[in-house]
Amino acid sequence: MDKPALLLNNIVKAFPGVLALDGASLEIKSGEIHGLVGENGAGKSTIIKVLAGVYQADSGSIEVFGEPLKPITPATVHRAGIRFIHQELHLVPHFSVTESVFMGQEISSPAGLSKGQMRRRAEAVLKDKLGRSISGRKLVRDLTTAERKLIQIARALIDDEARVVVFDEPTAPLASGEVVALMSAIERLKNSGITIVYISHYLDEITDICERVTVFRQGQSVAVFDTVTKATGSELVTAMIGREIASLYPDSDRNPHGTGLSVKSLGDGKSFQNVSFEVGRGEIFGIAGLIGSGREELVDALYGVNKIRYGTIEKDSKPIKISSPAIAVANGIVLVPRDRRQDGLVLPMNILENISLSVLKQISSYGFLNRKRERQVAEQQTAKIDIRPSNPKTVTRFLSGGNQQKVVLARWLANDANIFILDEPTVGVDVGARVEIYQLIADLAANGASIIVSSSDPAELIGLCDRVATMTRGVLSGVRITEKLTVDRLVALTTGATQESANVT
Amino acid sequence: MNAQVLHKRSFIANVLIRFGFVLVIFALFVFFAVWNPLFLQAENLTNIVEASAILMILALAMTLIIATGGIDLSIGIALDFGAAAAVVAMKSYDMAWPGAVCAGIIAGSVVGIFNAILVVGLRISPFLATLSTFFIGSSVQRIFTNGGGPISHRRMPDEFRQIAQGDTFGIPNEVLVALLLILVYLIVLEWSVWGRQVHAMGMQRSAAVVAGIKTNRNLIIAFIFASATCAVTGLIAAANIRMFTPLSGFSYLLDAIAATFIGAALHPRGRPNVLGTVVAVLFLTMVANGLNLMGINFNTKDALSGIILISALALAVAQRKASEAMLLGSRSR
Repeated sequence: MDKPALLLNNIVKAFPGVLALDGASLEIKSGEIHGLVGENGAGKSTIIKVLAGVYQADSGSIEVFGEPLKPITPATVHRAGIRFIHQELHLVPHFSVTESVFMGQEISSPAGLSKGQMRRRAEAVLKDKLGRSISGRKLVRDLTTAERKLIQIARALIDDEARVVVFDEPTAPLASGEVVALMSAIERLKNSGITIVYISHYLDEITDICERVTVFRQGQSVAVFDTVTKATGSELVTAMIGREIASLYPDSDRNPHGTGLSVKSLGDGKSFQNVSFEVGRGEIFGIAGLIGSGREELVDALYGVNKIRYGTIEKDSKPIKISSPAIAVANGIVLVPRDRRQDGLVLPMNILENISLSVLKQISSYGFLNRKRERQVAEQQTAKIDIRPSNPKTVTRFLSGGNQQKVVLARWLANDANIFILDEPTVGVDVGARVEIYQLIADLAANGASIIVSSSDPAELIGLCDRVATMTRGVLSGVRITEKLTVDRLVALTTGATQESANVT
Repeated sequence: MNAQVLHKRSFIANVLIRFGFVLVIFALFVFFAVWNPLFLQAENLTNIVEASAILMILALAMTLIIATGGIDLSIGIALDFGAAAAVVAMKSYDMAWPGAVCAGIIAGSVVGIFNAILVVGLRISPFLATLSTFFIGSSVQRIFTNGGGPISHRRMPDEFRQIAQGDTFGIPNEVLVALLLILVYLIVLEWSVWGRQVHAMGMQRSAAVVAGIKTNRNLIIAFIFASATCAVTGLIAAANIRMFTPLSGFSYLLDAIAATFIGAALHPRGRPNVLGTVVAVLFLTMVANGLNLMGINFNTKDALSGIILISALALAVAQRKASEAMLLGSRSR
């Protein structure tokens, strides 16, 4: 097999004002798992969309197993045996597994749909190609996220014509245990002779599974690694951001003092009970916990989104009642929500409008917006935080995850808040932007703000926080100083694998 | 670089893209004028503007509610209540005209308060809530008038009649009222802090809540403000014909919704907005008037209006896409 499965040559793609691909090339050998990494905006999703025929390249060529692909449209790409597993699942919850796998490519006879035949095919593909038996009668809404991902993959394989499968951030919605299952399914695919292109922000996945890796930066393929080991990870990071970073996390030589926020035996009667903790001024306090542990509900309650049944919240030793986000904000408590596209940003609004949303009073006189002042405030913030593109009139829908998160942060920085609740602050954020966001959080703490970080990434909690508590089944316990903690230990604590529950502070 | 080519569009292309819809209006204007010289006569142009006053005011209210992310199917009820209260106040209670005006506006506001209770208090979707208000409000009028007969008031005070019949500085009073309300809505919806909050919550409610905006309070204010505005049109209608005709507000509903969405389609980012609505109302009234003067068969007229509307909107959408591309291009550094 000498001919590469995919050969993309010198692809140029310009959008108005942005050169997304600047002569990028990509060679995928037949039968390999090839990783594609790069920061957001580096051009990896653009080149995939060019390959998919969604975007027309301005120049450059594509060859599939040695044959030039022309014209490049979604139909010709499909015929060439190239399949895409998109980041979003796009499944209908109340469809059955069979219906979902065959959606749009149903088998029918003159007597109608061949339901039995389809079900057997769907089950066979799931079992033989992906190594998981799932009943074709099950409904999508009863499946785990990992199983849904497999359904999505089965859909791409069902016609037996797939030769190259492109995975775009396949593990983004998965919990860590589910990732393993997906990985083994992908390995199995590879062993059956299918070529895999694997795009991910998670470098450990890349080094785990990929045989070769291409790194994108600023619209070009800047490096190709022919052998990938665990040790390649840091080299990848360096290639991605174009400089070395000493450490992901900022120094933690802060000195927390006093009490910024104190929570006493808080409960909502359902998801969490008797939660008590204190966060010092200038402290970063972490909350670990699995999905369903009550961690999300606690965060929402602290911000007035969820109702509190009992317990008290004190800020600067004064009791406050937080019954709505508006009241929380008025008290200097702000939230960076976990779902920034839903709750964090008004996506159709631009950077300027999103930042000024928190300071409308300050930038107005007699209720009239002062657009000059609004622009000044936004520019002050975007200068402090490196948001790209820097033009404050860019609509936030078009920003990358990292830049969107920076806009949410910028909004609250403009608002002089002093208690920051950050829920999953770096989900879907690339390494470069993550380092900047961590530094920003550390700077906030250094200036005396109290910070609560709720996260499902144990490494992040240990690297960023001063102390961390774990939430299990609605109970917050075991406040620990992160210096004495390892990732494995924290994972064990959140999963309840250890019996110990003493408060070691 | 390829990207450069895209922003160096010719001047003419830029004008076409920015002002495409306005050019269509202008072209239609010229067309109607050439077809029938009557169209251009001062009297007819005044007719167009006068005829659009009521729809204009109702469409402003609709624009506000649609900007909050909802819809108001009960604007006609607020109009009817406003007219009824004013007429009854003068006829049965001998109120002076300022009292009648107040009575009308208060009666209209009741409709908004009721909507706010349904939408904010009971969390019913605005569509169903205002539809219920429409049903109930229609029935109330029938019961009140014993079956829907008009209440006429021949000896209506002259001052009140001036609202619709008089001129100030040669401009018909109802046009002045509409102009004033356009200014008020520009301030409220486009230039004020409150308006920004309304736009934000209309586009993405949950994000607005998390940003600390009091969305419920804003919704209540919006519903009451909108229905009070609609009541003003009730005053104009009553003054015009010296009577209250039950269920007369309903006929404006679809036009008001259409005007708001046409206006939104004209906006570079697709938002409901005051200026867009104003242009859309003038457009709709002009087309209706122009087709009338062309002597087009009554049965085919609506079809023609539809076709003109589709063509103009298709152009507006193309225009927005092009200007989006330009925005992305010319403004990023």
